[in-house]
Amino acid sequence: MTRFLLAPARALVLVVFAVVGSAVALVLVTLLALIVTYPMTVVVARRLAELGRRLAQAWGGVAIDEVRLPVPAQPVRRADGWYEHDNQLYRSARVPAFMLKVEAYSKDATAIRDWIWLVATPVTGGLAAALSPLLVGAGVALAAGWLLPGLPTAVAIGAGIAVVVAGFAVGPAVLRVYGLWTRELLQPAHRSWWRRSGFGPWLGRAMKRTWNGAGLAGMALGALGLLALQLVFAVVSWGGLYPQAVQITRPYLDYYRRRAADWTGREYPQPYRPLPAPPLPDETGKYRAGRTLYQTQEAAVRAQRYGWIFTDPATWRDLLWIVLGVPVSVAGFLPALLVGFGLYGLVWQPIVWAPWGIPVGLATGEWVTPWYMGYLFAAVAPPLAAIPGWVTPFLGVVMTGAGLLLAGPLLRLRGAFDRLLLTPTRSTLLAQRVRRLSETRADAVDAQAAELRRIERDLHDGAQARLVSLGLSLATAEQLMERDPEAAKKLLAQARETSATALAELRNLVRGIHPPVLAERGLGDAVRAVALDSPLPADVTVDVPGRLPAPVESAAYFATVEALANAVRHSGAARVRVDIRYDAGASASGVLRITVTDDGRGGADPARGTGLRGVQRRLGTFDGTLSIESPVGGPTVLTMEIPCVLSSPRTSTS
Amino acid sequence: MRVVVAEDLYLLRDGLVRLLEAHGMQVVAAVESGPELRQALIGLRPDVSVVDVRLPPTFTDEGLQAALAARREIPGLPVLVLSQYVEQLYARELLADGTGGVGYLLKDRVVNAEQFIDAVRRVAAGGTAMDPEVIAKLLATDAVAKPLGRLTPRERDVLELMAEGRSNAAIAQRLFLSESAVGKHIASIFNKLELVPSDDDNRRVLAVLAYLNQ
Repeated sequence: MTRFLLAPARALVLVVFAVVGSAVALVLVTLLALIVTYPMTVVVARRLAELGRRLAQAWGGVAIDEVRLPVPAQPVRRADGWYEHDNQLYRSARVPAFMLKVEAYSKDATAIRDWIWLVATPVTGGLAAALSPLLVGAGVALAAGWLLPGLPTAVAIGAGIAVVVAGFAVGPAVLRVYGLWTRELLQPAHRSWWRRSGFGPWLGRAMKRTWNGAGLAGMALGALGLLALQLVFAVVSWGGLYPQAVQITRPYLDYYRRRAADWTGREYPQPYRPLPAPPLPDETGKYRAGRTLYQTQEAAVRAQRYGWIFTDPATWRDLLWIVLGVPVSVAGFLPALLVGFGLYGLVWQPIVWAPWGIPVGLATGEWVTPWYMGYLFAAVAPPLAAIPGWVTPFLGVVMTGAGLLLAGPLLRLRGAFDRLLLTPTRSTLLAQRVRRLSETRADAVDAQAAELRRIERDLHDGAQARLVSLGLSLATAEQLMERDPEAAKKLLAQARETSATALAELRNLVRGIHPPVLAERGLGDAVRAVALDSPLPADVTVDVPGRLPAPVESAAYFATVEALANAVRHSGAARVRVDIRYDAGASASGVLRITVTDDGRGGADPARGTGLRGVQRRLGTFDGTLSIESPVGGPTVLTMEIPCVLSSPRTSTS
Repeated sequence: MRVVVAEDLYLLRDGLVRLLEAHGMQVVAAVESGPELRQALIGLRPDVSVVDVRLPPTFTDEGLQAALAARREIPGLPVLVLSQYVEQLYARELLADGTGGVGYLLKDRVVNAEQFIDAVRRVAAGGTAMDPEVIAKLLATDAVAKPLGRLTPRERDVLELMAEGRSNAAIAQRLFLSESAVGKHIASIFNKLELVPSDDDNRRVLAVLAYLNQ
């Protein structure tokens, strides 16, 4: 009973609180301009929100979990008495403390929700709460004869009482609505309907697609300028400077490809042929480019460049893309236009229209349409003028929704069109592949030759020499056997030692060529065996169902060993983790992925160490790749990937 | 003593058989492939077997696998594994079941006939014989080196020999010490490594390796 009796008063308090809170929030927003006050504004907003949360709980009966502001880290005093923040030193802790606070708060998603709640409550939860006191007030006014004075007194009093009772009756319900609205915004974000229903995230993605589509369309239309530039260059210089114009166009389109790859999640590889190597003089001392001989190398290079530009289909496909892309780009703007226009009509126009449209309407009796550019539309199509102004917000919702829904399909269309013309043709792909293969083949042949030379040298200086000395010792011992058995015995012992040394050397050599444990157990156990011998503690996890092709296994093994050795030599790490797994993947061949992670100091650069470059070359032969992520301060993560197929455990002889 | 020999190279197999027989052992089977070895080990239950790691038909670690399989079936079946090279990984696998009676030596060690025969006998008696190269590798690892840093150089020598599977007397002889001095060193090692001492050769090694393995 008291619940009903108190409800209108409580609702009134909430309405006043909502209006005051909203006003305070607007003041706080202005204060944001003074950067210094930022943490204070966040805290004040949170206090107000906290009060709202408690009121919603106490009066609206809606339990809301508390959300806390993150606790900012404290600046740490260095040994030299200074305070460091973001590589900058400060005398006192004040500035770093402030910055840490700003960082912590600005990264906190709940802070922004406080603001939204404060600003929006008067027109949402607050508006709902207002219903109860309004009804009570209206009832009293009716009964007192202030409202509708023409009514007979008995009727007015009767109706007034009925309305007052209604005001009390709806009280708890409107308080609950206020509570629900407050809960939606002030509870932990992951629990909100907005997030859980997937609507909020979808809206975010659709918005991104909308603006990304417009961005790509804008960039594609911008390329028209480059088309014009090419035309000007071609005409003015009679084609002489045309290659230069093309070379200006290409980086722009490459930038477009990267953006498109980021925004559509598809690959847009470069289609251009590589620049040919400059020609070398032939036996007559002239330089050949195509079918023409040139006196100087510069002239030949220039001629070569023409051939390179003009015969590359990518040059003409780029142009075709620029021209044919115009309608696609125009369509690509559509979602952004719809959303922009819709949001304008939905949110902005009613707000702006209200302060002048209503007074004008009241004063002159002529209601101006709140339509954005409504007169323009009406002038173009007179029937549109008949549409009443109040539909504007609803029209806004429809347009925004249509724009958001269109964004995805249009972006996909754009992606399909771009892939058609901006990515390499089959023949270019083959050319690129051939080039890569010849590079890696040369590497492989070089590496193999070097390896054979090393083995030859090791055998020549090691085991072979020892066997010679062994034979010599035995021969001498044979001779001495009769005359000096003691000396012969000594020689024999020496011979045995030599044979042991030779064996040890052969063992090391074999380990370097193809470690026996690799042949016997495969990659996983071979790496485990190396990890056991490593001076650094190393954890090895292996998930490879079956056996890899022997050459891949060997390359992967030596690459991993090199990576481990690098971690031991350079990283200063205390622990290394090796993870070997085979990803069957969707395509015909899977991928062997090896990651070597150490907790060392980082900063590894493949350009500096010959070891890592060797690994890259070794993997390159198998179309494998090596990537290094090594921020200064660590950790270093080395990822090696080799595409290959698995076989079942091997049973043939090795 | 009944011995099974498994080695695929004829020359080496023949040499091994002759060496063992010259020292009064009875070679009950000399096989050259993994399946044959498995059969011989389980069927004949020899007092000890001398097994090459790499055997036909796969020429992978067939011999080791056969030995491990037989030991799973007959716990503690003495096996001395020979190989052209030694891996910590294999040593750990052999020692893992903790029943003793295992050896793991480089093939080169056969050249020193006396030591080799000594190792065969030790394994047959349920002890262990680890190649010094395995032990050296185990001790070289950084994680192990730290707690071992507390040992004196002499104690370290003793520990290495102990890990190979030597008896106190053998260690004393090798290091030119009295047997009681070796006993004191060992007690001190166990003390420093916080291990409970035991008379049993085999358990001693297992304790050491278990410690090194951690």
